[in-house]
Amino acid sequence: MTDLIEVRGLEKSFGDHHVLRGVDFTAAAGTVTVVLGPSGSGKTTVLRSLNVLETPDAGLVRIDDAVLDFGAPPADRASYRRAVTALRARSGMIFQAHNLFPHKTVLGNLVEGPVQVQRRDPDEAAAAARELLAQVGLAGREDAYPAQLSGGQQQRVGIARALALRPEVLLLDEPTSALDPELVGEVLAVIRDLAAERWTLVIVTHEVRFAREVADQVLFIDDGVVAERGGPEVLTDPREERTRRFLARVLDAG
Amino acid sequence: MGRVPLLRVLALLAIAGGVLLAVPPAAAVDRPAERVVRVGTEGTYPPFTYRDPDSGELTGFDIEVVRAVAEEAGWDLRLVEAPFDSLFPALDSGRIDVIANQVTINPERQARYLFSTPYTYSHGVIVTAQDTDDITTLADLRGRTTAQTSSSNWAQVARDAGAKVQYVQDFGPGVELLVQGRVDAIVNDNIAVLDYLATSGTDEVKIAGDAGDETLEQALAFRRSDPELQQQADAALATLADDGTLAAISEKYFRADVTVRERTGDVDVQASDARTTWEVLRDTAGPMLVGLLKGTIPLTVVSFAVGLTLAVGAALARLSSVRVLDGIARVYISIIRGTPLLVQLFIVFFGLGQVGIRLDPYVAAGIAFSLNVGGYAAEIVRASILSVPRGQYEAATVIGMDYGQSMRRIILPQAARIAVPPLSNTLLSLIKDTSLASLVLVPELFREAQVAAALSTEYLPLYCLAAVYYWVVCQLVTMAQAPLERRLSRYAV
Repeated sequence: MTDLIEVRGLEKSFGDHHVLRGVDFTAAAGTVTVVLGPSGSGKTTVLRSLNVLETPDAGLVRIDDAVLDFGAPPADRASYRRAVTALRARSGMIFQAHNLFPHKTVLGNLVEGPVQVQRRDPDEAAAAARELLAQVGLAGREDAYPAQLSGGQQQRVGIARALALRPEVLLLDEPTSALDPELVGEVLAVIRDLAAERWTLVIVTHEVRFAREVADQVLFIDDGVVAERGGPEVLTDPREERTRRFLARVLDAG
Repeated sequence: MGRVPLLRVLALLAIAGGVLLAVPPAAAVDRPAERVVRVGTEGTYPPFTYRDPDSGELTGFDIEVVRAVAEEAGWDLRLVEAPFDSLFPALDSGRIDVIANQVTINPERQARYLFSTPYTYSHGVIVTAQDTDDITTLADLRGRTTAQTSSSNWAQVARDAGAKVQYVQDFGPGVELLVQGRVDAIVNDNIAVLDYLATSGTDEVKIAGDAGDETLEQALAFRRSDPELQQQADAALATLADDGTLAAISEKYFRADVTVRERTGDVDVQASDARTTWEVLRDTAGPMLVGLLKGTIPLTVVSFAVGLTLAVGAALARLSSVRVLDGIARVYISIIRGTPLLVQLFIVFFGLGQVGIRLDPYVAAGIAFSLNVGGYAAEIVRASILSVPRGQYEAATVIGMDYGQSMRRIILPQAARIAVPPLSNTLLSLIKDTSLASLVLVPELFREAQVAAALSTEYLPLYCLAAVYYWVVCQLVTMAQAPLERRLSRYAV
């Protein structure tokens, strides 16, 4: 099986702070990759490098046939922008704070990208959006504004908005960290469904128990490098001492 | 205990009242020879009333006349300088007792004030550019445009002749308009024109002919409640005329005796009846409404729309990573916020006019106001854009929007909600600031009030009426703000 996602030698500094020191991994199509690590380890930066919300200083990112080598980027601005746009078009992102557009209705949030960016037919986009809303359990809330929804509902709209663009990969940045504990379950249930439907997911999360359940691959990132990479067994029986310590800490807190 | 502050307040009020009204001490009434008489004059209207460039002392034809009158009548003379438009209000409120400023006697003024016997007789002349040869009489003015000071009776003469009148602050700016080709002629009195031509040495304009056969009479003006001063002045003027003093003063300034009526067959300008306050208000309310609808409101709407567009552009430039754009926007905003609107307006209208860019008054005012709104609103727009959370840019970016799309569809609509309250303040200021356009000849609401006030001297009622017009418009804008805010924030719970 060829890998859908390929990341090689990713480097990133913020000023003097060397956040990523050479991150490598691959992910096959239809698999769930869970990215774990202590706060400040660089795991979110890895995720945000995949859609160039952060621009790495060096390294290569490939999703399907879209490649961008940040160490040797295209010389002219136009080609660089085209490469960035191509890479972004292959993924959808779910933010920790959902970042829904507050001035647009639920339906408006979902059709914005398909109609404005992908130039799809508005009626077709709306019909597809309604189906997605039903899928995340929000049929009937099309005309609500985000502020009228609960945190869990907002995050499910966020997931539907990402799906509406029909991306190849979904990037989820701590999708449940900002939620009240009683709302976490409904969001995880939706993500579990996506995994079951063989979506390719890359999830940054602290929900270790949930990760055990859905992960095909686990990346433990510490101090800017992939400290341990393996199957879901990493979460129960890690080889690395620092992975073990981290898991103990997180599970105690949970 | 509580009475002490009260007494102090009363004492302060009494002092303040005494200063403001400058009530002459009662003793002065018994000894008229020492009565303090405050004479109001412009001090900026050579050769009649001006400051001698060398000594800095007030001098001029009117000043010398009134000094001679004071000496003859035994007044303790105090000269008070004030702009012409505020001389009559000052006389009304008792801050001055006499106006010595080439005040022309007309029926409306006569209804409200006492006048001495005239000490100047003048007649109108038509001034044109040197190369104009088709204007020599009042009849030639029909359909042409003249530049007049609002306070002068010559504006009425020009209007009666069928000319369009553009108002200027002074004779000098009027000549500038003539030279720039913005107006065809100026009607003014022979004395002022001859003096201007002599002192400026200009050969770009000329006296093209007489403005009808009216002779105007200039005299000292007094409150109606103060006939004693008038009588003293008349007695003094009679003596000064008899002993040749007036003639000597006139010769000194004009090489002619303008203190005697020289022409025959003059039309008496005092023939028509004075209007009452209500008649003046009634006659002016219509023109003011027209000024509001055709001057103030269009100017406000256009300037606000163009200004907001400039503001969004400047705000985006300020937020741009391109340093040149940021720099240009900074300089623009700094100039607009660091200089008076009036100065900006004059630069666009009079300044650019001098280098060959002759803009229509509306266009000039529109440009100045738009630039001004743009500079002020830019910082409001910038702050509003910055207040939209960063996550909104990121969400727009990851759904594939480019800069223009994310601004137009995601960021600016959210910034608009935040910007409405401060921008409505900008709009209210703009509505009121358009009154400054009166100074560059735009016939808007306040201009109409000023013109009517200068002719009728009904300053208080007319300016209050103008204030009411502005207030009503601003109220309507304020009332429209709440529904707009509701509409823009309908999504926020």
